[in-house]
Amino acid sequence: MRLNPPDAYWKKDVALFFGKRFALVIKMIYPLAIIVPVAASGIPARYAAAVVGIVAIMAGTFGAGESLTSDLNDGILARVALTPLSPYRIVFEILAVNVVLDFLQLLPALFVVYFLHPVSLVWVCAATFAVFATLVAANCIGVFIANFTSSPADVLLYATAILSPLIYASGFFRNANPMGGLATLRDFVPFAYANDALKTVFGLTTGTTPLETFIYPTITCAVLVVLVCLTAPRLLSQRL
Amino acid sequence: MPATLEAKNITCLYKGSGRGVTDVSLAVGRGEIFGLVGPNGSGKSTLLRVLSTALAPDSGSFSIGGADGLAERREVRARIGLMVDRPTHYGDLSGWANAFFFARAYGMEEEKANGTLAELFDCFALAEYAHDKAKTYSYGMGKKLALIEAVAHGPELLLLDEPSLGLDYTSQLAYQRKVRELAGAGAGVVLASNQVDEVEALCDRVAFLHKGRMLVEGTPEKLVSSLRGVKRIVATLRNPVEYAPVGEVAGVERVATEGRNLVVHCEDRPGLVADVVAGIVEAGGDIAELSVRRPNLEDVFVKLTGEALRSDEA
Repeated sequence: MRLNPPDAYWKKDVALFFGKRFALVIKMIYPLAIIVPVAASGIPARYAAAVVGIVAIMAGTFGAGESLTSDLNDGILARVALTPLSPYRIVFEILAVNVVLDFLQLLPALFVVYFLHPVSLVWVCAATFAVFATLVAANCIGVFIANFTSSPADVLLYATAILSPLIYASGFFRNANPMGGLATLRDFVPFAYANDALKTVFGLTTGTTPLETFIYPTITCAVLVVLVCLTAPRLLSQRL
Repeated sequence: MPATLEAKNITCLYKGSGRGVTDVSLAVGRGEIFGLVGPNGSGKSTLLRVLSTALAPDSGSFSIGGADGLAERREVRARIGLMVDRPTHYGDLSGWANAFFFARAYGMEEEKANGTLAELFDCFALAEYAHDKAKTYSYGMGKKLALIEAVAHGPELLLLDEPSLGLDYTSQLAYQRKVRELAGAGAGVVLASNQVDEVEALCDRVAFLHKGRMLVEGTPEKLVSSLRGVKRIVATLRNPVEYAPVGEVAGVERVATEGRNLVVHCEDRPGLVADVVAGIVEAGGDIAELSVRRPNLEDVFVKLTGEALRSDEA
Protein backbone atom coordinates (compact mmCIF):
# COMPACT_ATOMS: atom_id res chain seq x y z
CA MET A 1 0.00 0.00 0.00
CA ARG A 2 1.43 3.39 -1.04
CA LEU A 3 0.82 6.21 1.43
CA ASN A 4 1.80 9.84 1.37
CA PRO A 5 4.85 10.63 3.50
CA PRO A 6 3.78 11.16 7.12
CA ASP A 7 3.57 14.72 8.39
CA ALA A 8 2.50 13.86 11.94
CA TYR A 9 3.57 11.29 14.49
CA TRP A 10 0.33 9.30 14.28
CA LYS A 11 0.53 9.21 10.50
CA LYS A 12 4.05 7.83 10.79
CA ASP A 13 2.72 4.97 12.93
CA VAL A 14 -0.12 4.34 10.47
CA ALA A 15 2.36 4.33 7.57
CA LEU A 16 4.55 1.83 9.42
CA PHE A 17 1.52 -0.32 10.33
CA PHE A 18 0.33 -0.59 6.74
CA GLY A 19 3.84 -0.57 5.28
CA LYS A 20 4.84 -4.03 6.51
CA ARG A 21 2.56 -6.34 4.58
CA PHE A 22 3.50 -9.64 6.17
CA ALA A 23 3.34 -8.21 9.69
CA LEU A 24 0.02 -6.61 8.81
CA VAL A 25 -1.45 -9.94 7.73
CA ILE A 26 -0.27 -11.60 10.95
CA LYS A 27 -1.60 -8.73 13.06
CA MET A 28 -5.00 -8.95 11.42
CA ILE A 29 -5.20 -12.72 11.51
CA TYR A 30 -4.02 -13.61 15.01
CA PRO A 31 -7.04 -12.18 16.90
CA LEU A 32 -9.29 -14.07 14.48
CA ALA A 33 -7.23 -17.23 14.91
CA ILE A 34 -7.61 -17.10 18.70
CA ILE A 35 -11.09 -15.67 19.14
CA VAL A 36 -13.10 -17.32 16.35
CA PRO A 37 -12.49 -20.96 17.47
CA VAL A 38 -13.37 -19.93 21.01
CA ALA A 39 -16.54 -18.16 19.90
CA ALA A 40 -17.54 -21.11 17.72
CA SER A 41 -16.93 -23.67 20.45
CA GLY A 42 -19.23 -24.56 23.27
CA ILE A 43 -16.94 -23.52 26.13
CA PRO A 44 -18.61 -21.77 29.06
CA ALA A 45 -19.48 -18.14 28.38
CA ARG A 46 -17.30 -16.75 31.17
CA TYR A 47 -14.18 -18.39 29.71
CA ALA A 48 -15.04 -17.34 26.17
CA ALA A 49 -15.45 -13.76 27.41
CA ALA A 50 -12.17 -14.04 29.32
CA VAL A 51 -10.27 -15.13 26.20
CA VAL A 52 -11.53 -12.16 24.18
CA GLY A 53 -10.74 -9.81 27.07
CA ILE A 54 -7.24 -11.20 27.57
CA VAL A 55 -6.46 -10.90 23.85
CA ALA A 56 -7.50 -7.23 23.98
CA ILE A 57 -5.43 -6.57 27.11
CA MET A 58 -2.33 -8.25 25.73
CA ALA A 59 -2.61 -6.59 22.31
CA GLY A 60 -2.93 -3.19 23.95
CA THR A 61 -0.24 -3.48 26.60
CA PHE A 62 2.43 -5.14 24.52
CA GLY A 63 1.63 -3.20 21.34
CA ALA A 64 2.33 0.24 22.77
CA GLY A 65 5.03 -0.94 25.18
CA GLU A 66 6.98 -2.88 22.61
CA SER A 67 6.89 -0.25 19.85
CA LEU A 68 7.75 2.50 22.31
CA THR A 69 10.70 0.69 23.87
CA SER A 70 11.95 -0.19 20.41
CA ASP A 71 11.88 3.49 19.38
CA LEU A 72 13.48 4.48 22.68
CA ASN A 73 16.29 1.99 22.12
CA ASP A 74 16.91 3.30 18.62
CA GLY A 75 17.18 6.83 19.98
CA ILE A 76 14.75 7.99 17.31
CA LEU A 77 12.11 8.96 19.85
CA ALA A 78 14.60 11.14 21.74
CA ARG A 79 15.45 12.81 18.42
CA VAL A 80 11.76 13.41 17.65
CA ALA A 81 11.38 14.86 21.14
CA LEU A 82 13.96 17.53 20.20
CA THR A 83 11.68 18.93 17.52
CA PRO A 84 9.25 21.68 18.52
CA LEU A 85 6.41 19.13 18.81
CA SER A 86 4.82 19.11 22.25
CA PRO A 87 5.96 16.02 24.16
CA TYR A 88 2.44 15.66 25.55
CA ARG A 89 1.05 15.67 22.05
CA ILE A 90 3.59 13.08 20.93
CA VAL A 91 2.63 10.73 23.75
CA PHE A 92 -1.07 11.32 23.17
CA GLU A 93 -0.61 10.50 19.49
CA ILE A 94 1.37 7.36 20.34
CA LEU A 95 -1.43 6.29 22.65
CA ALA A 96 -4.27 7.19 20.31
CA VAL A 97 -2.82 5.61 17.21
CA ASN A 98 -1.90 2.40 19.02
CA VAL A 99 -5.40 2.11 20.44
CA VAL A 100 -7.04 2.66 17.07
CA LEU A 101 -4.72 0.23 15.29
CA ASP A 102 -5.24 -2.42 18.00
CA PHE A 103 -8.98 -1.85 17.72
CA LEU A 104 -8.84 -2.34 13.95
CA GLN A 105 -7.10 -5.66 14.56
CA LEU A 106 -9.77 -6.85 16.98
CA LEU A 107 -12.80 -5.56 15.15
CA PRO A 108 -13.15 -8.41 12.58
CA ALA A 109 -12.95 -10.98 15.39
CA LEU A 110 -15.58 -9.08 17.38
CA PHE A 111 -17.88 -9.03 14.36
CA VAL A 112 -17.55 -12.80 14.08
CA VAL A 113 -18.42 -13.12 17.78
CA TYR A 114 -21.53 -10.96 17.31
CA PHE A 115 -22.49 -13.01 14.25
CA LEU A 116 -22.16 -16.30 16.12
CA HIS A 117 -23.76 -14.95 19.33
CA PRO A 118 -26.45 -12.46 18.30
CA VAL A 119 -27.47 -9.98 21.04
CA SER A 120 -29.29 -6.70 21.09
CA LEU A 121 -27.65 -3.78 19.33
CA VAL A 122 -27.19 -1.92 22.59
CA TRP A 123 -25.06 -4.77 23.96
CA VAL A 124 -23.11 -5.00 20.71
CA CYS A 125 -22.31 -1.31 21.06
CA ALA A 126 -21.58 -1.65 24.78
CA ALA A 127 -19.27 -4.63 24.30
CA THR A 128 -17.46 -2.98 21.40
CA PHE A 129 -16.98 0.19 23.40
CA ALA A 130 -15.84 -1.78 26.45
CA VAL A 131 -13.20 -3.56 24.36
CA PHE A 132 -12.09 -0.17 23.03
CA ALA A 133 -11.83 1.12 26.61
CA THR A 134 -9.85 -1.99 27.54
CA LEU A 135 -7.42 -1.18 24.73
CA VAL A 136 -7.10 2.41 25.96
CA ALA A 137 -6.34 1.25 29.50
CA ALA A 138 -3.96 -1.47 28.31
CA ASN A 139 -2.08 0.93 26.05
CA CYS A 140 -1.84 3.41 28.93
CA ILE A 141 -0.22 0.64 30.98
CA GLY A 142 2.17 -0.12 28.10
CA VAL A 143 3.19 3.53 27.80
CA PHE A 144 3.53 3.82 31.57
CA ILE A 145 5.84 0.79 31.64
CA ALA A 146 8.00 2.30 28.88
CA ASN A 147 8.83 5.08 31.34
CA PHE A 148 10.87 2.64 33.37
CA THR A 149 12.57 0.44 30.81
CA SER A 150 13.82 0.46 27.27
CA SER A 151 13.85 -3.32 27.04
CA PRO A 152 10.95 -5.10 25.33
CA ALA A 153 11.67 -8.12 27.56
CA ASP A 154 11.22 -5.97 30.65
CA VAL A 155 7.91 -4.77 29.26
CA LEU A 156 6.67 -8.36 29.42
CA LEU A 157 7.84 -8.72 33.00
CA TYR A 158 6.46 -5.42 34.25
CA ALA A 159 3.21 -5.90 32.33
CA THR A 160 2.68 -9.28 33.97
CA ALA A 161 3.24 -7.72 37.38
CA ILE A 162 0.75 -4.93 36.71
CA LEU A 163 -1.86 -6.88 34.74
CA SER A 164 -2.16 -9.95 36.97
CA PRO A 165 -3.86 -8.15 39.88
CA LEU A 166 -6.00 -6.10 37.49
CA ILE A 167 -7.15 -9.22 35.64
CA TYR A 168 -7.89 -10.85 38.99
CA ALA A 169 -9.84 -7.79 40.17
CA SER A 170 -11.79 -7.74 36.91
CA GLY A 171 -13.10 -11.26 37.55
CA PHE A 172 -11.95 -12.84 34.31
CA PHE A 173 -11.27 -16.22 35.88
CA ARG A 174 -11.76 -15.86 39.64
CA ASN A 175 -13.28 -13.18 41.84
CA ALA A 176 -16.33 -13.04 39.59
CA ASN A 177 -18.56 -11.80 42.41
CA PRO A 178 -16.29 -9.68 44.61
CA MET A 179 -17.29 -8.13 47.91
CA GLY A 180 -16.12 -5.08 49.86
CA GLY A 181 -12.86 -3.49 48.80
CA LEU A 182 -12.39 -5.80 45.84
CA ALA A 183 -15.83 -4.86 44.53
CA THR A 184 -14.94 -1.17 44.80
CA LEU A 185 -11.61 -1.77 43.09
CA ARG A 186 -13.35 -3.68 40.29
CA ASP A 187 -15.55 -0.66 39.57
CA PHE A 188 -12.45 1.34 38.63
CA VAL A 189 -10.96 -1.23 36.24
CA PRO A 190 -12.16 -0.87 32.63
CA PHE A 191 -11.30 -4.53 31.95
CA ALA A 192 -14.14 -5.54 34.28
CA TYR A 193 -16.74 -3.80 32.13
CA ALA A 194 -15.39 -5.46 28.99
CA ASN A 195 -15.57 -8.79 30.78
CA ASP A 196 -19.19 -8.22 31.85
CA ALA A 197 -20.26 -6.96 28.42
CA LEU A 198 -18.62 -9.92 26.68
CA LYS A 199 -20.19 -12.35 29.15
CA THR A 200 -23.55 -10.87 28.20
CA VAL A 201 -22.72 -11.31 24.51
CA PHE A 202 -21.85 -14.94 25.16
CA GLY A 203 -25.16 -15.48 26.97
CA LEU A 204 -24.53 -14.81 30.67
CA THR A 205 -26.36 -12.23 32.72
CA THR A 206 -24.34 -9.80 34.83
CA GLY A 207 -25.31 -6.91 37.06
CA THR A 208 -23.68 -4.36 34.76
CA THR A 209 -25.91 -2.24 32.55
CA PRO A 210 -24.97 -0.91 29.09
CA LEU A 211 -25.05 2.64 30.47
CA GLU A 212 -22.51 1.75 33.18
CA THR A 213 -20.37 0.12 30.49
CA PHE A 214 -20.26 3.39 28.60
CA ILE A 215 -19.84 5.81 31.51
CA TYR A 216 -17.43 4.34 34.05
CA PRO A 217 -14.69 3.09 31.72
CA THR A 218 -14.82 6.47 29.94
CA ILE A 219 -14.09 8.28 33.19
CA THR A 220 -11.33 5.87 34.23
CA CYS A 221 -9.72 5.93 30.78
CA ALA A 222 -9.83 9.73 30.58
CA VAL A 223 -7.98 9.93 33.90
CA LEU A 224 -5.46 7.30 32.77
CA VAL A 225 -4.80 9.08 29.47
CA VAL A 226 -4.18 12.39 31.23
CA LEU A 227 -1.87 10.76 33.78
CA VAL A 228 0.11 8.89 31.12
CA CYS A 229 0.44 12.01 28.96
CA LEU A 230 1.84 13.83 31.98
CA THR A 231 4.76 11.39 31.97
CA ALA A 232 5.74 12.62 28.47
CA PRO A 233 8.79 14.71 29.45
CA ARG A 234 10.26 11.76 31.33
CA LEU A 235 9.28 9.19 28.72
CA LEU A 236 10.84 11.12 25.86
CA SER A 237 13.98 12.19 27.69
CA GLN A 238 17.34 10.72 26.71
CA ARG A 239 18.11 7.47 28.52
CA LEU A 240 21.71 7.70 29.74
CA MET B 1 27.84 40.58 15.60
CA PRO B 2 24.60 39.82 17.53
CA ALA B 3 24.81 36.49 19.32
CA THR B 4 22.62 33.63 18.11
CA LEU B 5 23.82 31.45 20.94
CA GLU B 6 24.92 32.62 24.36
CA ALA B 7 25.88 30.01 26.93
CA LYS B 8 27.10 30.96 30.38
CA ASN B 9 28.85 28.73 32.88
CA ILE B 10 27.27 25.49 31.70
CA THR B 11 27.99 22.56 33.98
CA CYS B 12 26.50 19.16 33.27
CA LEU B 13 28.04 16.07 34.81
CA TYR B 14 26.82 12.49 34.41
CA LYS B 15 26.01 11.00 37.78
CA GLY B 16 27.67 7.64 37.22
CA SER B 17 30.96 8.65 35.62
CA GLY B 18 31.32 12.23 36.78
CA ARG B 19 32.23 13.14 33.19
CA GLY B 20 30.56 15.91 31.26
CA VAL B 21 31.27 19.62 30.98
CA THR B 22 32.21 22.10 33.68
CA ASP B 23 31.75 25.85 33.63
CA VAL B 24 31.71 26.25 29.86
CA SER B 25 30.76 29.62 28.38
CA LEU B 26 30.57 30.50 24.72
CA ALA B 27 28.85 32.84 22.32
CA VAL B 28 28.19 32.26 18.64
CA GLY B 29 27.19 35.17 16.44
CA ARG B 30 24.85 35.27 13.45
CA GLY B 31 26.57 33.73 10.47
CA GLU B 32 29.47 32.47 12.55
CA ILE B 33 30.79 28.92 12.38
CA PHE B 34 32.14 27.88 15.75
CA GLY B 35 34.22 24.74 16.15
CA LEU B 36 34.34 22.61 19.27
CA VAL B 37 37.44 20.46 19.20
CA GLY B 38 38.48 17.81 21.66
CA PRO B 39 39.22 14.11 21.92
CA ASN B 40 36.55 11.50 22.62
CA GLY B 41 35.09 12.05 26.09
CA SER B 42 36.12 15.70 26.22
CA GLY B 43 32.51 16.85 26.57
CA LYS B 44 31.66 18.00 23.04
CA SER B 45 28.59 15.80 22.67
CA THR B 46 27.45 16.57 26.21
CA LEU B 47 27.63 20.29 25.51
CA LEU B 48 25.62 19.81 22.31
CA ARG B 49 23.07 17.73 24.22
CA VAL B 50 22.63 20.60 26.66
CA LEU B 51 22.37 23.19 23.89
CA SER B 52 19.85 21.06 22.03
CA THR B 53 17.75 20.85 25.23
CA ALA B 54 18.15 17.08 25.42
CA LEU B 55 19.84 17.42 28.80
CA ALA B 56 19.19 20.01 31.47
CA PRO B 57 22.46 21.42 32.83
CA ASP B 58 23.28 21.13 36.52
CA SER B 59 23.99 24.85 36.47
CA GLY B 60 24.43 27.68 34.01
CA SER B 61 22.14 29.11 31.38
CA PHE B 62 21.92 29.57 27.65
CA SER B 63 19.76 31.30 25.10
CA ILE B 64 19.26 30.82 21.39
CA GLY B 65 18.03 33.75 19.37
CA GLY B 66 17.00 35.36 22.65
CA ALA B 67 14.86 32.40 23.78
CA ASP B 68 15.83 30.95 27.15
CA GLY B 69 17.17 27.42 26.76
CA LEU B 70 15.75 26.28 30.09
CA ALA B 71 12.42 28.08 30.28
CA GLU B 72 11.43 28.19 26.58
CA ARG B 73 12.57 24.81 25.37
CA ARG B 74 10.05 24.35 22.57
CA GLU B 75 10.83 27.82 21.25
CA VAL B 76 14.53 26.99 21.34
CA ARG B 77 13.98 23.62 19.61
CA ALA B 78 12.17 25.35 16.77
CA ARG B 79 15.24 27.51 16.15
CA ILE B 80 17.75 24.67 16.15
CA GLY B 81 18.88 22.28 13.45
CA LEU B 82 20.41 19.24 15.06
CA MET B 83 22.54 16.42 13.83
CA VAL B 84 23.46 14.00 16.59
CA ASP B 85 26.62 11.90 16.54
CA ARG B 86 24.73 8.65 15.96
CA PRO B 87 21.77 9.55 13.79
CA THR B 88 18.81 7.16 13.71
CA HIS B 89 15.81 7.00 11.45
CA TYR B 90 12.58 5.09 11.07
CA GLY B 91 14.09 2.22 9.12
CA ASP B 92 10.84 1.02 7.58
CA LEU B 93 10.06 4.46 6.20
CA SER B 94 11.81 5.80 3.12
CA GLY B 95 14.58 8.37 3.46
CA TRP B 96 12.23 10.93 1.96
CA ALA B 97 9.43 10.05 4.40
CA ASN B 98 11.84 10.45 7.32
CA ALA B 99 13.04 13.84 6.10
CA PHE B 100 9.48 14.96 5.31
CA PHE B 101 8.30 13.93 8.77
CA PHE B 102 11.04 16.00 10.44
CA ALA B 103 10.49 18.98 8.11
CA ARG B 104 6.81 19.02 9.03
CA ALA B 105 7.63 18.53 12.71
CA TYR B 106 9.69 21.74 12.45
CA GLY B 107 6.64 23.50 11.07
CA MET B 108 7.49 23.65 7.36
CA GLU B 109 4.56 23.96 4.97
CA GLU B 110 4.03 20.89 2.80
CA GLU B 111 4.87 22.60 -0.48
CA LYS B 112 7.97 24.30 0.89
CA ALA B 113 9.10 21.06 2.51
CA ASN B 114 8.77 19.20 -0.80
CA GLY B 115 10.77 21.86 -2.67
CA THR B 116 13.51 22.19 -0.08
CA LEU B 117 13.90 18.45 0.39
CA ALA B 118 14.12 17.85 -3.36
CA GLU B 119 16.96 20.36 -3.53
CA LEU B 120 18.75 18.86 -0.52
CA PHE B 121 18.40 15.26 -1.71
CA ASP B 122 20.00 16.41 -4.97
CA CYS B 123 22.70 18.36 -3.17
CA PHE B 124 23.71 15.32 -1.11
CA ALA B 125 23.36 12.88 -4.01
CA LEU B 126 20.54 11.00 -2.28
CA ALA B 127 17.79 11.70 -4.83
CA GLU B 128 18.23 8.29 -6.43
CA TYR B 129 17.68 6.59 -3.07
CA ALA B 130 15.03 8.96 -1.69
CA HIS B 131 12.26 6.36 -1.80
CA ASP B 132 14.33 3.45 -0.54
CA LYS B 133 13.73 2.38 3.04
CA ALA B 134 16.09 4.13 5.44
CA LYS B 135 17.18 0.77 6.85
CA THR B 136 18.80 -0.02 3.49
CA TYR B 137 21.00 3.09 3.70
CA SER B 138 24.71 2.83 4.38
CA TYR B 139 26.20 4.63 7.38
CA GLY B 140 27.28 7.54 5.19
CA MET B 141 23.87 7.80 3.54
CA GLY B 142 22.26 7.82 6.99
CA LYS B 143 24.54 10.71 7.98
CA LYS B 144 23.57 12.62 4.85
CA LEU B 145 19.90 12.05 5.60
CA ALA B 146 20.47 13.34 9.14
CA LEU B 147 22.15 16.44 7.70
CA ILE B 148 19.17 17.02 5.42
CA GLU B 149 16.83 16.71 8.41
CA ALA B 150 19.00 19.17 10.36
CA VAL B 151 19.17 21.91 7.74
CA ALA B 152 15.88 21.64 5.82
CA HIS B 153 13.87 24.06 7.96
CA GLY B 154 16.52 26.80 7.82
CA PRO B 155 17.47 26.89 11.50
CA GLU B 156 18.89 29.92 13.28
CA LEU B 157 21.46 27.72 14.95
CA LEU B 158 22.86 24.52 13.55
CA LEU B 159 24.33 22.02 16.01
CA LEU B 160 26.44 19.39 14.29
CA ASP B 161 28.13 16.53 16.08
CA GLU B 162 30.87 14.87 14.00
CA PRO B 163 28.97 15.65 10.80
CA SER B 164 31.56 14.57 8.25
CA LEU B 165 32.50 11.26 9.87
CA GLY B 166 31.60 8.53 7.38
CA LEU B 167 30.89 10.88 4.48
CA ASP B 168 32.58 10.33 1.15
CA TYR B 169 34.72 13.15 -0.26
CA THR B 170 32.03 14.54 -2.58
CA SER B 171 29.47 14.57 0.22
CA GLN B 172 31.95 16.27 2.54
CA LEU B 173 32.32 19.05 0.00
CA ALA B 174 28.53 19.27 -0.41
CA TYR B 175 28.07 19.42 3.35
CA GLN B 176 30.75 22.11 3.77
CA ARG B 177 29.18 24.14 0.96
CA LYS B 178 25.74 23.85 2.59
CA VAL B 179 27.07 24.86 6.01
CA ARG B 180 28.78 27.93 4.49
CA GLU B 181 25.59 28.75 2.62
CA LEU B 182 23.53 28.58 5.82
CA ALA B 183 26.08 30.68 7.69
CA GLY B 184 26.06 33.14 4.80
CA ALA B 185 22.30 33.41 5.25
CA GLY B 186 22.80 34.29 8.93
CA ALA B 187 22.64 30.96 10.78
CA GLY B 188 25.07 30.34 13.60
CA VAL B 189 26.78 26.96 13.48
CA VAL B 190 28.34 24.94 16.27
CA LEU B 191 30.45 22.14 14.85
CA ALA B 192 31.81 19.50 17.22
CA SER B 193 34.56 17.49 15.63
CA ASN B 194 38.05 16.21 16.05
CA GLN B 195 38.70 16.37 12.31
CA VAL B 196 41.08 19.32 12.48
CA ASP B 197 41.31 19.81 8.72
CA GLU B 198 37.56 20.23 8.51
CA VAL B 199 37.47 22.58 11.51
CA GLU B 200 40.31 24.72 10.16
CA ALA B 201 38.67 24.92 6.75
CA LEU B 202 35.19 25.78 8.00
CA CYS B 203 35.29 27.52 11.33
CA ASP B 204 35.60 31.21 12.10
CA ARG B 205 36.44 30.47 15.72
CA VAL B 206 37.48 27.36 17.57
CA ALA B 207 37.40 26.27 21.20
CA PHE B 208 39.29 23.32 22.66
CA LEU B 209 37.54 21.13 25.18
CA HIS B 210 39.57 18.89 27.43
CA LYS B 211 38.15 16.80 30.25
CA GLY B 212 34.95 18.85 30.18
CA ARG B 213 36.59 22.24 30.41
CA MET B 214 37.18 24.85 27.77
CA LEU B 215 40.93 25.35 27.45
CA VAL B 216 41.26 28.13 24.94
CA GLU B 217 39.25 29.84 22.26
CA GLY B 218 40.17 31.90 19.21
CA THR B 219 40.38 31.98 15.44
CA PRO B 220 42.19 28.99 13.90
CA GLU B 221 44.86 31.33 12.52
CA LYS B 222 45.49 32.93 15.90
CA LEU B 223 45.68 29.58 17.67
CA VAL B 224 48.03 28.06 15.12
CA SER B 225 50.24 31.16 14.98
CA SER B 226 50.75 30.85 18.73
CA LEU B 227 52.87 27.83 17.87
CA ARG B 228 55.55 29.82 16.08
CA GLY B 229 58.73 27.77 16.08
CA VAL B 230 56.93 24.44 16.20
CA LYS B 231 57.32 21.96 13.35
CA ARG B 232 55.38 18.88 12.46
CA ILE B 233 57.38 16.22 10.65
CA VAL B 234 55.34 13.43 9.08
CA ALA B 235 57.19 10.33 7.94
CA THR B 236 55.32 7.62 6.03
CA LEU B 237 57.00 4.31 6.85
CA ARG B 238 57.04 1.06 4.96
CA ASN B 239 57.36 -0.87 8.20
CA PRO B 240 56.22 -0.37 11.79
CA VAL B 241 59.03 0.59 14.17
CA GLU B 242 59.65 1.04 17.85
CA TYR B 243 59.93 4.80 17.72
CA ALA B 244 61.11 5.58 21.26
CA PRO B 245 64.60 6.68 20.08
CA VAL B 246 63.02 9.39 17.95
CA GLY B 247 61.50 10.89 21.08
CA GLU B 248 64.98 11.30 22.55
CA VAL B 249 66.18 13.57 19.74
CA ALA B 250 66.82 17.08 21.09
CA GLY B 251 63.83 19.36 20.39
CA VAL B 252 61.32 16.56 19.84
CA GLU B 253 58.27 17.10 22.07
CA ARG B 254 56.07 14.22 21.08
CA VAL B 255 55.97 11.28 18.69
CA ALA B 256 52.74 9.62 17.64
CA THR B 257 51.51 7.23 14.98
CA GLU B 258 48.65 7.97 12.61
CA GLY B 259 48.12 4.84 10.55
CA ARG B 260 51.36 4.30 8.61
CA ASN B 261 52.56 7.79 9.44
CA LEU B 262 54.92 8.69 12.23
CA VAL B 263 54.11 12.22 13.36
CA VAL B 264 56.83 14.13 15.18
CA HIS B 265 56.02 17.39 16.95
CA CYS B 266 59.17 19.39 17.64
CA GLU B 267 60.66 22.79 18.41
CA ASP B 268 62.40 24.17 15.34
CA ARG B 269 66.21 24.40 15.35
CA PRO B 270 68.97 24.03 12.77
CA GLY B 271 69.58 20.41 11.79
CA LEU B 272 66.41 19.18 13.43
CA VAL B 273 64.93 17.41 10.38
CA ALA B 274 68.20 15.56 9.73
CA ASP B 275 68.36 14.46 13.36
CA VAL B 276 64.76 13.21 13.29
CA VAL B 277 65.38 11.29 10.06
CA ALA B 278 68.52 9.80 11.60
CA GLY B 279 66.52 8.82 14.65
CA ILE B 280 63.89 7.05 12.52
CA VAL B 281 66.51 5.24 10.47
CA GLU B 282 68.33 4.24 13.66
CA ALA B 283 65.06 2.81 14.97
CA GLY B 284 64.85 0.64 11.84
CA GLY B 285 62.33 2.77 9.94
CA ASP B 286 62.20 2.61 6.14
CA ILE B 287 60.95 6.05 5.11
CA ALA B 288 58.74 6.07 2.01
CA GLU B 289 57.73 9.71 2.23
CA LEU B 290 58.71 12.65 4.39
CA SER B 291 57.11 16.04 4.82
CA VAL B 292 57.64 19.00 7.10
CA ARG B 293 54.33 20.71 7.69
CA ARG B 294 53.18 23.87 9.35
CA PRO B 295 51.52 23.26 12.69
CA ASN B 296 47.76 22.81 12.75
CA LEU B 297 45.05 22.83 15.41
CA GLU B 298 46.01 19.34 16.43
CA ASP B 299 49.46 20.60 17.36
CA VAL B 300 47.86 23.38 19.39
CA PHE B 301 45.89 20.79 21.32
CA VAL B 302 48.98 18.65 21.86
CA LYS B 303 50.89 21.69 23.04
CA LEU B 304 48.13 22.65 25.48
CA THR B 305 47.44 19.24 26.96
CA GLY B 306 50.33 16.99 26.05
CA GLU B 307 47.68 14.54 24.85
CA ALA B 308 46.56 13.30 21.48
CA LEU B 309 43.39 14.63 19.89
CA ARG B 310 42.48 11.35 18.26
CA SER B 311 42.35 7.97 19.90
CA ASP B 312 44.44 6.20 17.25
CA GLU B 313 47.45 8.13 18.43
CA ALA B 314 49.81 6.83 21.04
